[in-house]
Amino acid sequence: MADIINQNPVAPIEPKKRFSFGAWWDKTTGEPLKLKDKIILIVVGVVFLFVFYVTLDANKYPALVRVIAGEGAVGVNPTDLALDFGDLARGTSAVRRVDIQNGTFMPMYVLVWEVGGISSLMEVDKTAFRLAPKSGTKIEFSTYMPASAEIDKIYKGRVYIFKIPTFGI
Amino acid sequence: MKLGKTAKFFLDGVIYIVIVGGIVYGLPKFLSWSLKTPFPMAAITSGSMWPELKQGDMVFIQGEQSKDTIAEGDVVVWRSTNNEGFVIHRVTELKEDTFITKGDGNFTADPPVGYDQLVGKALVWRGKMVKLPYLGSVTTYASKFVQ
Repeated sequence: MADIINQNPVAPIEPKKRFSFGAWWDKTTGEPLKLKDKIILIVVGVVFLFVFYVTLDANKYPALVRVIAGEGAVGVNPTDLALDFGDLARGTSAVRRVDIQNGTFMPMYVLVWEVGGISSLMEVDKTAFRLAPKSGTKIEFSTYMPASAEIDKIYKGRVYIFKIPTFGI
Repeated sequence: MKLGKTAKFFLDGVIYIVIVGGIVYGLPKFLSWSLKTPFPMAAITSGSMWPELKQGDMVFIQGEQSKDTIAEGDVVVWRSTNNEGFVIHRVTELKEDTFITKGDGNFTADPPVGYDQLVGKALVWRGKMVKLPYLGSVTTYASKFVQ
């Protein structure tokens, strides 16, 4: 009996309010979510997820080249983790290749995008093409060092290779 | 007077067409008149003037140039005699009847050019060349469909 007397009264537990998007929308806009709004939201959501996936799945490579004095001097490629064109003298060029594989059962549309200071020195043999399912190809990047390149300067940039599923379209 | 929804829609359309038409047709005509040349804009299609001009840049050309108005170091546009189009390079030497140009990124100079081939000079404002990056790529791409 004493045990029962010493116990504190327990406050009634309120049921947790679950977040409802429809209720939030209603409260924010003052109107209930219409079918048209739902369709638009779903389409926007799917497009966002698609873009997010393509961006996340893209191959990203840092690209760089250093200008050196001399004639016909070409450095070696120190790493295969980046599109490193090594050391190039004015008037010389170097080529790097990237192997692209499509291991899926769906054709992919491949887009190559270069940014940064090196992008105006770099040529890509194919910037937009279709890659068949279960196949691969090589993308060739060549960098030529013009007469106006600054000696000892390192030109940097990034290369993004986007693989966009075509869903057979 | 209150316009109906349909009338307002069509009026908006007409205003939009007038604005776009004015920009597309009026702007080149205005530039031709103000820069005194039938070729007021040029798209850069090679890297021969790198890094001053990059492939895809668009530059403005100041017309009515002659031997007396150009100087060594100026970036000029000249027309090739064998219909190879236009060249935009830097003047390296001025001679009596001809002038020599060279692309900044090139190792060799161009053959001598007669003053009659001179189209104009790249427009400079406050010591800097007036250029619009990437816009040249758009016009070059668009011209492929026009041809």
